[in-house]
Parts: sequence; C-alpha cells; structure tokens
Amino acid sequence: MNAASTIATIDPIRVSVIDNRLDAICREIGLTMLRTSRSPIFSEARDFVTGIFDRDLRLVAQTAYIPVLMGALPYAIRSIAATFADDIREGDVFILNDPYRGNNHPPDITIAKPVFWQGQIEFWSVSKGHHADVGGSGVAGYNPGARSIWEECIRIPPAKLYAAGQLNRALLDTILLNVHLPFLVEGDLHCQVGAVTIGERNLQALLGKYGPQLLQAAIGQIFAAAERQMRAVIRGLPNGEFSGARCIDHDGINKDQMITVRVTLRIEDEAITFDFSASDPQAVGYVNSTLPNTASSAFLALFMSVGSGVRCNEGSLRALRVLAPPGSIVNANEPAPVTGCTIAAAQAIIEAVWLALAEAVPEQVDACWARWCAPATMGFNPRTGRFFGDIHFMSKGGAGAAYGFDGWDHLGTVICAGGLRSPDPELHELVTPYTVLQYEFRPDSAGAGQWRGGMGTIYRWRVDADNIAAANFGGGNRPETAPFGLAGGKAAPPHELYLRKGDQIIDVDTESFYSLAAGDIFEIYQSGGGGYGDPRRRPVESVRDDVLDGLVSVERARLDYGVSIDPDTLAVDAAETAQLRHPAGGSPR
Amino acid sequence: MGLRVGVDVGGTFTDFLVVDDQGNAQIYKTSTTPRDPSLGFFRGLDKAARHRGLSLDELLGQVDTVVHGTTITTNAALTGDGAVTGFITTNGFRDLLNMRRGLKDRQFDRYAPPLPLVPRRRIRVVGERVLASGEVLVPLNEADVRAAATFFREQQVEAVAVSLLWSFRNPAHETRIREILEQELPGIYVSLSTEILPQIRVYERHSTTALNAYVGPVLTRYLRRLQEELERRRYSGALLIMQSNGGVMSPQLAERFASNTLLSGPAGAPMAGIFYGGTHGFRNLITIDMGGTSFDVALIRDAEPAVTTEGGLGGHRIATPILDIHSIGAGGGSIAWIDSGGMLDVGPKSAGAEPGPACYGRGGTQPTVTDAQYILGYLDPALFEQGELDFDAAAAARVIQERIAGPLGMDVVSAAAGVYEIINNKMAAALGVVSVQRGYDPREFVLVVAGGAGPIHAAPIARELGIPLILIPRASSVFCAAGMLISDLKHDYVRTCAREFDRIDLGEVAALYREMAAEARTTLLTERVPPARIELRRSADLRYVGQFNEVEVSVPGDGEVDSATLAQMAAAFHQRHDALYGYSMSGAPVELINLRLTGIGRVDQPHQERYALGPADASAARRGNRRAWFDGGFVEAPVYDGLALVPGHHVAGPAIVVQPTTTVVVPPDFELLCDEFRNYLMYPRGRNPDELCRALR
Repeated sequence: MNAASTIATIDPIRVSVIDNRLDAICREIGLTMLRTSRSPIFSEARDFVTGIFDRDLRLVAQTAYIPVLMGALPYAIRSIAATFADDIREGDVFILNDPYRGNNHPPDITIAKPVFWQGQIEFWSVSKGHHADVGGSGVAGYNPGARSIWEECIRIPPAKLYAAGQLNRALLDTILLNVHLPFLVEGDLHCQVGAVTIGERNLQALLGKYGPQLLQAAIGQIFAAAERQMRAVIRGLPNGEFSGARCIDHDGINKDQMITVRVTLRIEDEAITFDFSASDPQAVGYVNSTLPNTASSAFLALFMSVGSGVRCNEGSLRALRVLAPPGSIVNANEPAPVTGCTIAAAQAIIEAVWLALAEAVPEQVDACWARWCAPATMGFNPRTGRFFGDIHFMSKGGAGAAYGFDGWDHLGTVICAGGLRSPDPELHELVTPYTVLQYEFRPDSAGAGQWRGGMGTIYRWRVDADNIAAANFGGGNRPETAPFGLAGGKAAPPHELYLRKGDQIIDVDTESFYSLAAGDIFEIYQSGGGGYGDPRRRPVESVRDDVLDGLVSVERARLDYGVSIDPDTLAVDAAETAQLRHPAGGSPR
Repeated sequence: MGLRVGVDVGGTFTDFLVVDDQGNAQIYKTSTTPRDPSLGFFRGLDKAARHRGLSLDELLGQVDTVVHGTTITTNAALTGDGAVTGFITTNGFRDLLNMRRGLKDRQFDRYAPPLPLVPRRRIRVVGERVLASGEVLVPLNEADVRAAATFFREQQVEAVAVSLLWSFRNPAHETRIREILEQELPGIYVSLSTEILPQIRVYERHSTTALNAYVGPVLTRYLRRLQEELERRRYSGALLIMQSNGGVMSPQLAERFASNTLLSGPAGAPMAGIFYGGTHGFRNLITIDMGGTSFDVALIRDAEPAVTTEGGLGGHRIATPILDIHSIGAGGGSIAWIDSGGMLDVGPKSAGAEPGPACYGRGGTQPTVTDAQYILGYLDPALFEQGELDFDAAAAARVIQERIAGPLGMDVVSAAAGVYEIINNKMAAALGVVSVQRGYDPREFVLVVAGGAGPIHAAPIARELGIPLILIPRASSVFCAAGMLISDLKHDYVRTCAREFDRIDLGEVAALYREMAAEARTTLLTERVPPARIELRRSADLRYVGQFNEVEVSVPGDGEVDSATLAQMAAAFHQRHDALYGYSMSGAPVELINLRLTGIGRVDQPHQERYALGPADASAARRGNRRAWFDGGFVEAPVYDGLALVPGHHVAGPAIVVQPTTTVVVPPDFELLCDEFRNYLMYPRGRNPDELCRALR
C-alpha cells in the first residue's frame, strides 16, 4: 500500500517531536479561551474543548477540560465540511450549534477555522464551548419545559461567521438578537475566534517547518500508535458481553417517570462495541441524547477507567463502535429537545458503562460519582446595573472511591472528570445579586467503603434581587439515581435541594423551573461519591479520623463501618467494634 | 567595599560564590545537609576561608553581605514537614482551603487525592461575615475565637493562619482575631490574609496564607539559628534572604513573609541573566537553567523579569507575585521511554540523583538524557571521575540498546540522537511558552544559559526558535548564586479595587497607592536602604468587564492617577490583550481589579573586570579531538579547555569546550567567541558578533 510505504520511511523521532507540537498547539488554543472568555462558564468552569483536525477531517489532537465534549468534535467538523464542500476559503470561520446538523447540544457552540497552506486546506483549528445563553424560553439555554428544539434555542446550522476574513455582521446580529445575554455571547464568540486563530497561526508555522506531506505521514504514525495503545488495553480485558443500566431521574415533563439507559459491552479481542439498543425510547422532555453526545459519553467512561493514559484521537477511536438506535433516548430524532443531554443523559450513560465494565474488571473502575444537580439562573443585577447569567458551579458532589484510595472531594460531575473549576465565591458575589451563606463539605454525604467516597458539599445562598429565573437540572435526587458503590461499598445518599421563601420550604426537583425573589434562600445538599469495598475492612483509625474531622458522624461510623465511638470522648470501644465487625467471630462479611 | 557571598542551597549541592570588589569570583560547592542546612552553609564558608588562607571568623570579618537562597520552606511544604498549623475562617465556609477549587490536575489518571495542608479538625470556623461592600453582616463572635484558641493549645498548634471572606475590604475581624490569639496563645506564629495577600479570590488567599503559616515557624527557627551563629562569629555585615519574586529581604521580614521564599530556588537565574546580559547592554533575554530533573525558563524584557501570580507548590496555590519561571520535567536525569503505542518520549520522570543516569554507575537501569549525551560524545568521562563517580560507559550503551534502540529497530547512536532531539524540542517548546505564547518574538532575545549541562543543548534550542545569539557565563554552573548577589531588595503590595473604568474614584485609587507607598518606604527604611535608593513601581490588573482573568499593565507617574493616566492604562491594556490573545476590543468597557505596588531598594552591582580582546587563534587552548555526533554522523571534533580560552579567542564548530563544571557543545553551524568578560558568545556560523550584539541591544 502506498500510504504504508510512505509512513514506513518516517523517522520515529520526528513523529514524537510532531506529536508533542500538535498537543502544545491544542493546549494553547485552550489557554487562550481560558484567559479571555467572559462567561464564567468558560473561564471559571472551563466548560469547553479545543481540537485539531487534519485535511481528511480526522481528529489529531484535543484538549478536553470538560471531557464529555471529547467525542463530539468529529461530528461537528464533518458536518461543516460536508455542507460547504467546495466553498471553503482561506479566512473563513465556521459556526454551528444545531444538534441535528452535527452538534452535540445547542449551548455548546462550535467554531472552526480551516488552516490553509499554499492554497490547500491542511488542518482545522476548532473550539467548542458552553455559552451563557443561546436564546429560547429557558434559562441560560436550559429549558426543562421544552417539548421541541424550537423552544430551546436559536438554531445555527453550519454557517460562515467570517467569509474570507470578513465578519458576517448579519449572522452575528441575528444570533445576538436572539439571545438574552448578547454581551456575554458576543465576548465569548470573539474569544473562540481569537483562540482558533492562534491555533491557525501555530499550525501554519508547523507547516512551514515540516511541510504537509511529512506532517500527514507523521499523523498517520501517531494514529497507529494510539490505536495500538487502545487495542492493547482491550486485549487486557476478558472477552464477552457485560451489561449495565442506569436511570435518568425524569425528563422535566413526566416527572414521575425514570428513563433507563441500557448498555451491553461486547468485548471481542481488540475491539469494543457499546450497544445501547435496549435503552428506552426518546423522551418528550430535553434529556434526550444525540449520537455525538452518546458516543462521547461512552468513550469518556472508557478513558476514565481502563483506557486511562491512552491518547484520544482518530486512531484510538478506531477500536470502538457505538450502536444507538434512532428514536431512542441515546439518539433522539428531530425535533426532540436535547439540551439536557450533556448532563442528565451523559451521566446515566457513563454510569451504565462503568457498571458493565465493573462486571469484568472492578478494580479498574471508580464507584459512582455524584451527579450534577444545581440551577442555571438569569436576571438583572441591581448592584451592577447589568444582566447576568450563571450556572452554580460551586455546588459539586464527591467522586467515587476506587480500589486503593478514597474518592476525591467536591470534584463532580463525572462528565467533567475533575476539570470543572469551582468559581471564586467572591468574584461570584461581585457579578450576581447573591450572598453565599454556606459552602463546605456535607457530613455523611459519602458512600461508606473500605475506601470512602469523596465528600459532597452544602451550598446555600440568599437571593438579593427580584425576578430571577432558575432552571434546576442534572439529577441524582432519588435513591435509584444516587451514586452506587462497588465491590461491597455503599451507595451515597441522594441530593437534597430546597427553596426557602419566608416560612415556606419548597422541595426542589431536577429538570424544573423556579422563580427567585429577594430574600429567598436556595439550599443544595450534594451527594458524595459511592464507596468501594466492604466498609468493615476500613481501618478503625481511618474511620475515627473521619469522625474527628467531622466528615462521618458517630452514628454512621457505627452503622456503616461497624466502629463504636464514644460521642463525648471520641474514643473507640475496641470490644464493641470487634463484635460489630465480626458478629459471629468470623471474617468480615 | 568588602566581599560579597552568595549561598544557594540546592537539592544535592550548596553553591557558594565569593566576589571581591574587583569582581573576581571564586566558586565553591559542598554537599547539602538536609537535616540542618546551616551545617553545609558554614562548611562551605569554611572551605572558602581555607582557600584564602583564613579562618572562618577572619573571612566573615571581610564580608559585608551574605545573600542566602534557601529551600528549607520548599522542602517542608513538599514533604509535609511544616509546622502544626491551625486555620481560622468564616462560619459556613470551613472547607474552601481543602476543596482547592475542585480540580484534579491529570483528569484521566486514577490516583489518590492530595493530603490537605491543614486537616479539617484544625480548621475552625468563627461567627462573622463581611460583605463585598466591606459592610459587616455578622459581627465577630469572640467566644468562637477563644474556643478555637483553646483547641489549638490542646493540639499543640505552632502556627495559625487566619483568612476570612472579603477581609481585604474590611480587615477589622482578622485584626481582632490576632489580638485574641496573642492573648490566648502568647508567642504563637500568626499569619493574616490581610497582611499576606489582601486581594480578591478566597481560595488563593486562603492557600497563600495557610502556606505562610505552615512554613513560617520552620524558616524562623532556621534563620535565628543562622544569625546566632553568625553573631557568635562576630559577623557584622548584612544577611539577606532570596525571595520568589527575584528580590531579597531581611531575615526579620522573611520570618513574617516566609511564603515569599517557597519558590525562590530558581529565582536567582533570571536575575543573573539580567546581570550578565547587562555587561553587553542586552535588555531582552531568555534565561534557561537545566538541572538534573527540571528545566527552567524565564523571559526578561527591558531588563525586567516577567512576573506571575499563578504560582503553586505541591498542589497548593501561591498567589503572591513570583518570577514567571516556566518549568518542565526535562533535565540530565530525565528518562527516555517508549509508551504502549510504541512512541518514544523523554521525561518528565527522572532518575534523580539516586540512582541517577546509567552511566553514573550507581545502578541506574533507565536510559537518561545524560546517557544519550555521553553516547553522542558530548560528555568527558574524565570530569565524572573528579566528581567521585564510577563512570560506566557500557551501561549507557546497554540501557539505550535494551530500552530504546532495540524496540524501535534502530542503532544505539541513532536512538541517543533521537533522545537528544526530543529533549531539545521539549525545551524549545518551553521557551515558546514564555515568549511566543506571551506575545513576544524569541528572535529579538538573547539566550542566557545556566546549569552545567545547559550549554550542551543551547545551540539546537536557539536554532529551533531562530534566536541569533547565546550568552554562556563562565559561572554557568553556579548561576543562581550569582543572581542572588545582584538582586535588589524587593517587596510587593496589592489592594483590590474592583471598579468599572467609568466608575473609578480617582481619590480612592490615589489613596490606596499612597498607603502602599508608605508601607513600602517604611519597610525598606527598616532594612536600612538609603532613601535615595528606594524606587516605587505601580501597576494595575485590568480586564474587559465580565472577564474572569486580568492582564497587568504598568501605571505611569507617581500614583496620583488622573483621567489621562486611566486612558494610557486602557490603551496599554488593549494592546497587551491583543498581543497575548489574538484580539482586543477597543471601545469595550474595561474594569480595574487590583492595584499593585513594588518597592525596590537598589543594591550595589558588583564590578565586572573588562579585558581587551586579544587574537582569535585559540590553538593554545586546544586539547586534542573527541569523536562526537554532529549532523547525522560522528566527526573528530576539536576539544578546547575553557579555562585556557582568553578574551578574543574564537572557536568554530564542530567543537567542544570543556570546563570542570560545564561543557559547551558548538555544532558545525555555530561559532563561539570568548568575550571581553571571559564569558562565551555563541552564534550561527558566518554572523558577525559585533553586529549581532548591536542589533540585540
């Protein structure tokens, strides 16, 4: 084969050098976004991904601060390239948000710039990020009452935001006229265009140095290396079929009906098929997943467990296949609403894949992480005289415990894999009409285990302005959707959320709207992570340390861990502990 | 003027540089004594004294300044060996310190969470709450403070950090807590966030303050022991401590602001770069320092090192200004390895000092950069023997064959050349981070090289980035100690003043600058800086309204800011934003976040003796040939004795210049000149060094 012979002539040293360069360029696109964005969702929470594609639209490198976006870029870029086939010019910048034209979900706007070299497209420099608002009748893009995509957002098909370097003012104005927070959206679109332009500049420098042919050949080698890595990982797993199922709390419309994601992993030598065929049909409300989001979630589940350390590019994805039947919750048909897919659906998909993997290799899988459950809010801030929009990213749950160590505290949700930076509460109070009342760990929020889940948080704030719209989303509010434990570890308790209006206490549900007024207090009690292993195997000293630190109560120490601690002296009663842990004098259960 | 001594305590060696008033310098090294670094300190001074035929006390009688760089705080923070620390914060916000903003660095790796700096049981909350306006929502509950003090006494706490929400807007509660702690726990070390970092962003403030308390008692004990011993030996000169911001401070200040030493280890190098660059009138420099495990890069523009507030250590944030030194895991000990996909990579894992590279003969089984350097003929085994190492040439070839060449199907030399090329590229990319990524063109900078092994890699790095001139000081291997000797006293102050530009109260800004200026002057005067040598610099952190990150711009004038100054600041901001991030939005509203002031007390710069340039012929320094790898093959490269090279001597590549602690590799497309200060200039073949120097001034 011709291609193979070219590849064989490339020096492996050069390939490593080019691989490092491409990663560095991708990181720089991301850093630019991080430093220049307006919306706290980009700059504080880092809810975006950057990538580089080659001329054949293959994913070469990416930096996924929010990893659930990792598998979504290829669909978007293919859609843009297909739409404009012969009409792609130097200086064009493309935009896309429509989930039925290749995007994952509407708030994540894709910006892509073709990189030309001597008149030919050689690369694409791409960024995708979650905007503060995309219009519709929801809050910051979240509309739990939506029954169709038209109620969710302005739909942007693949389009040229810049044509040959000229801004398409009419398109930009159309977008800005259709969103509630044009000030933030305009700033962040500029930030994305600036970032992909930095990427273009660097890729052109790389092309100048090595030339397109050598780069293409090196990229072929990089893909081959990633594919070998992934196939080696899969070879280490037992062949067979493994299944898992997890529920989405509900779709915002039929609030008493859980929706199930079912997956069967077929592991065959060096390949994995994620078969979601047995999942529930698509829902009326906006928790439906799109194919890009489903694929992305499945890949993330793998890269966070057995595939940790494998490069994520075209090569490693070759070993993976996703089956998601159209019309199901994991691949909804137009015009179903889908905005909730990156959270509600993605969490259930990842958890189901982990349950399946845990059947095969439990020691390589974390116990369940706490789901996201907090609102997006939007309104006018009289303190600054400006409109604001924000998602309450301070409120994070714990990560699941793993074989060998306790879960990370305050790290969730799993779709972010620890990349979601909590905003600074002081900067938050400067921008929003809120006063934070409490923000600390929630005692007894973690699942018990030989290794304990990470701690969840309590996050409470007072509202200082009227007419604030809130859309609460995520899930994890019922025992069935609370974080599961693994290998004998216990589940964590579900989230609890309340809205206090004077003497009235309202139970806050997921996928629901609330209206906030001055004096209201919003309270979130987040789950910790699930535990791993039998809690009675946790060293007594570690249990006592958790009690001394106020993370585990004396009651739970006794009930969950079988450790008897005197509530006044905090001394361990060794005799009673032995009896609690080994009731029949035998080994732990 | 008497002798000046720089003492730089490193992980393995403590470096000493003794300079007289003629600029004559002697270099000494002793082994670092980690348990009590003051032992190594005095042992090295003793060595210097004996070399001059003096007793230690006699030597100290001739010294008027000792500048000391210590890593005692750094080690304490990294090994968890700091003071037993308590932390007091606002009720309802107990865990912001340990939440660390909920980030995990390596997102896809599965590893245990970091241990907290202060365990939760020693984090005590007190009733109080100040609002963004500075107004008190909940008054301080003093009983809570006393209860915390009682608990800390039981726990034998040695230091307490106090950091409350919005305290920088109204420091009354923190101040009162200190008073109570001093009553309840006399003599205890207390750090207030309003003193350490009175600035918005609560986690950053918490973490910096907690680190200060955590290492404060450790540094205090060490410095007092050192000063007692110096006093006992009737030393009457000054003792100055190196800081992370590239300045020095008195021991009294160091005790209070101990966290300012946490990242001081590499801070001497950029300062040395400024000094050596200054001998030629160069003001735009990139300094590199290659050690055993890491490679540090810093950019200097207009003779000022770049500064950042985004530092961190061991997973904890340090938000005070520090020199912006970009560090990557690339050094002589960096391990070359092949990943599961079959791709060659180098670092960031290092073989460290023990067992070290395979060729050190201490049982190292991993191929390292040093092993590759040896295979390529760049290292002289004879130098290792002086260093008490059993040089094992066969081991270098064996591990590269087994781990790299064999699996990749190439020969040992090509594999070694590959390791060399990959590490050079990684280092060049690190230079790109501080230059191109910060909006600067590296071709306008001079590369200044430190570290014994740095000059082996300097030419390929410069070639990669198009840097036209390399300056290699002869004291390259004790570069940091040299930098300390020329560092000024330097103190940074900050005040948060979050206002949109059109709502700025000029009177408030001026008052805050006056307040910081007074504080800076008082501090420098107590450090015995003559008023004429005090210099104050002002800057401000700006951003577009609604952004969450700031860009620092300098503030012209004396702090009495008027609307014209504001316009200048805004213009500078748009320009800098464009250079950094590829766009700016002139006309868009800008907001002020922080005001900053740096107080500087100038110290005397050492004299550098200038020699006349003699003839170019360097054959008198020639020491035969060595087989070395250049341009894809081995050649017989001339070897020169660096100590025998004199000003004016010229060496054309390929060549190798050997000194006891440094090796310079001159590739075929480069030339080297011994300059009038007996340092080396290296530049692309055929270029005229005088013209290059003129162009880069």
